[in-house]
Amino acid sequence: MTLLTIVFQNPSPSPAGAAGAGIFSSPILLSLLIWIPVLAAAAIATMPNPRGRYDTLMKQIAFFTNLGLVFVLFVAYNQFENFLPTMQYEEKLDWLPAIGVKYHLGVDGAGLVMLVLSGLIGVASVLGSLSVRERVRAYFVLLLLAQASVNGAIVARDMFLLVLFWGASAIPLTLLVLGWGGPRRHAAAWRLLGYWGLGTGVLAAGVLALYAVTGAQSFDMDTLLKAGLSPRIQIAVSLVMIVAAATRLPLFPLHGWMRDVLAEAPPGVVVVVAGAASRLGAFLLLRTVIAGEPAAGHLLSPVLAALAALTVGYAGLAALRTVDVRHAGAYLAMVPGGITVLGLAAISPLGIAGSVLSLFTGGLAAALIAGVCATLSERAQSRSLLVLSGLAPRMPNLAWLLTIAALALLGVPILASFAAELMTFFGAFKNQPVGAFAVAGGLAISAIALAVLLRKVLFGAPNTEAPGVSDSSLNETWYLGLLAGGLLWVGLFPGGPKIPGTEVPLFDPGLLNQMTAGISDMASPYVAPVPSPTPAASQ
Amino acid sequence: MLLPEALVVAMALLVMLSGRFGWIPRRASAYLPQATALIMLIALGIELWAGATLTTFFGGALVQDRFALFAKAVALLTAAVALAATDWTAEDSLHLGLAMPLLASFGILVAASAADLVGLWAGLELAAAAGVVLVSLRRPDLGLRLLVVGGVATTLIVVGLAFVYATTGNADLTAIRDVLMSHTPTLALAIPMLLLLGGLALRAGLAPFHVGVLPVGLGASPLGAGLVIGLVAVAAALVAVKLAAALIPIPAVYVPYANVIAALAMLGGGAAALAVRSPRPRLAYLAVGQLGWVAAGLATHFRSGTAAALFLLGAFAVAATCGPALLGRAEGGEPAIAGFGSVRPVRAAGLGLAMLSLAGAPPLAGFFGELAVGAALAQSGNFVLLGLGLLGAVMSAAAVVGTLRVLYIQSPLEESRRGAAAALPTVTAFSTAGGVAFCLVIAAYGAFGYPILGLADQGAEALGLK
Repeated sequence: MTLLTIVFQNPSPSPAGAAGAGIFSSPILLSLLIWIPVLAAAAIATMPNPRGRYDTLMKQIAFFTNLGLVFVLFVAYNQFENFLPTMQYEEKLDWLPAIGVKYHLGVDGAGLVMLVLSGLIGVASVLGSLSVRERVRAYFVLLLLAQASVNGAIVARDMFLLVLFWGASAIPLTLLVLGWGGPRRHAAAWRLLGYWGLGTGVLAAGVLALYAVTGAQSFDMDTLLKAGLSPRIQIAVSLVMIVAAATRLPLFPLHGWMRDVLAEAPPGVVVVVAGAASRLGAFLLLRTVIAGEPAAGHLLSPVLAALAALTVGYAGLAALRTVDVRHAGAYLAMVPGGITVLGLAAISPLGIAGSVLSLFTGGLAAALIAGVCATLSERAQSRSLLVLSGLAPRMPNLAWLLTIAALALLGVPILASFAAELMTFFGAFKNQPVGAFAVAGGLAISAIALAVLLRKVLFGAPNTEAPGVSDSSLNETWYLGLLAGGLLWVGLFPGGPKIPGTEVPLFDPGLLNQMTAGISDMASPYVAPVPSPTPAASQ
Repeated sequence: MLLPEALVVAMALLVMLSGRFGWIPRRASAYLPQATALIMLIALGIELWAGATLTTFFGGALVQDRFALFAKAVALLTAAVALAATDWTAEDSLHLGLAMPLLASFGILVAASAADLVGLWAGLELAAAAGVVLVSLRRPDLGLRLLVVGGVATTLIVVGLAFVYATTGNADLTAIRDVLMSHTPTLALAIPMLLLLGGLALRAGLAPFHVGVLPVGLGASPLGAGLVIGLVAVAAALVAVKLAAALIPIPAVYVPYANVIAALAMLGGGAAALAVRSPRPRLAYLAVGQLGWVAAGLATHFRSGTAAALFLLGAFAVAATCGPALLGRAEGGEPAIAGFGSVRPVRAAGLGLAMLSLAGAPPLAGFFGELAVGAALAQSGNFVLLGLGLLGAVMSAAAVVGTLRVLYIQSPLEESRRGAAAALPTVTAFSTAGGVAFCLVIAAYGAFGYPILGLADQGAEALGLK
């Protein structure tokens, strides 16, 4: 089965799910993904820790909690029935019936992709945080709370819950930057809080506006986003959602927090912010604008394409100009977001599928480039590109990882981002040719910036006056390797590995297979009607 | 059944008289806070058990309906948790410190049940007087100032109520509403409404009237500050809710004022919280901001908005009253609470949660209340007020993050540099239990929003709102 046929396949009339699908089911599977980290955070917050005696135990609790989440996710991923266009693992409880709030969770293919990303990022972030020595308790409590809120925002099927989790992720991440960041952490943290707070306020306003105009006394996405609103209202609400998403992803010109936060935060936090928390912006656009307001989706797709092009172009140029390796990593981490939005702007099944896959690949690639740059600057004891030079022989692990990160950003074959960018551009060239060319131009500038970065930092003449360097530690290699491994795995086995000689999946049904659930539904308003045969033609 | 009221008053009198005449031995006095908190919890239990029965007392002067049940439950729970969380070594008088919150709660109980203008006024004044007493214990000058400011507020309120009585010929709230059904908005009603709402805003310390009340609260003992910022403001808000329900046939006479007050409070509270750095003023301004959301709920003049405002008022009452009590005597600005999280973890957690809730940060009690009010504002098409409120909430959240940084990320002061103004609260098993109880209430308020908001909705319905 080729890549494109997997994406284009419609819900199968005779379902042929992954072997074992549906064997295990839990009515609270998605709740576990939210509340296990919260409980672990509560346990860490309340356990006694005289003179830091149990710091290591706290790190272990955080690590094994994330490992447990990955196990739960593995179950969810394997049991997911990709032929169903509906939400799965749904949980629905009345919460505040007086105003129509439900505790409603559920995932479709896109949500599952985001959950897998969040699971991988969670493990990587804890591995990347094992070197934290100060205020270990507070650090891991905040990290787990941030992960829980990101998971909550992914699986929320009620707009009230979405606002709740979306907003809740900002405070722990701000405190993590503020408490464990670099020298300019204060500016970085306040910028993060300012932009994300603004985004939360705007999102809340949009959700409440939607709630008011539908008059449905419900915050349920199924009600609010399928209310059949007039195009004018759809556009107003969609513009608000675009602003909220642009503060989070981020998109130019609301990207002001990105450079400082990714340059100042500790590596474990960089991974969470660049990899998972910021992807929520694109996920919001997918859920609300593309899937929820198709009339606005049609009309605003050029705006999205323009924002994508501006973001990618700006990121490439800024990365080319900067002389700080962490700033370069931060700017380059904006590129995947632009590509994801271009896929959404394509408003075609292929483009949307590309952007869904790009949520995963872009998250991993952004986390990898920002994480490698953070670790590299720590290991080289300098952030200046005027100082860092010819490091490849002295830090081979990081050299490899930086190279993989660069290739992943550019969408080179055998990495998962290749498939994502291929689908995105194929989809976009038809409906948004100008935007697609502009983004491609921006990507070319980013490629130049990456080439300059690699040449200078890794393969230039060694700087004898630079401080001493060392290669990444085992933990650092593991956390970065996990991100690179995720990109390689999906790149090599987009449909999952099969038992040799059969079509039976080995243990992974394939991310590309699983993500298709629901995409046809989302893309259906954008499928051009097939012209009926004219009488002359039929004769 | 007026048993909860009787229990509260009896306990307040017993505590005051025992303090005056030395009836209780010194060693046994140490257990008075526990006993008082227990009595409040028993009163709460009785209220929740028996308060569901609709009835009237004193020939209809007091009404036991769902609104009264909700408001009384909030007041009793708030007082119980505040008494438990207080560091009694930081208070100026154990006996008066215990009695005044009980009397303030009693004032709220009276106002909540009041069926006429006199009952409303009496309940509010009783709650406010308790605040004056507690403030005067530490700073008689500030007590006097509060008395004067309160006098101005009382004058405005009484003149406003008198005009309402003169216009409608009735003091009974239900009768006022019935009379106003056939009225049109007139200047003769709009002017007294301005006075009335101004007086209530002054009592509640809402911006721009906070300049009179807040500095007083900041100079009081921790519990005194909680009383002024929290319970007295709750009493004023409850009176406003009942009056708004009585005036619902002609909302045009009060809604524009309520809109302005709400906007000023939400924005002003958030901006002021961001501007100050000391924890107690910041807490006070956060409370002002959240009270603005309550006013915004009233401005919708619909049942859903009023229910949301009541729901939020419950969260506000607990956080605003208990916040200063949890802070204890750490009055020496930001340095006093540096590293509080490592030296007083339960109190720091409580203070952090109180501030986050007052800022409306997810997923705490205040967030649910503010979003419920936001939903009502959106339904009524008041997007300007909603936008201003969200802006204020964002500023409030930014302010709270600054305090959380100090609480958890900064290192604690060395003991040798810790003066009286930065003294750490004394840890006892009871105050720790109080802190834990506060954290549970704030965390559980949203989780158990179903029954709480349901009761608030029934409360709004009981006021005759549709």
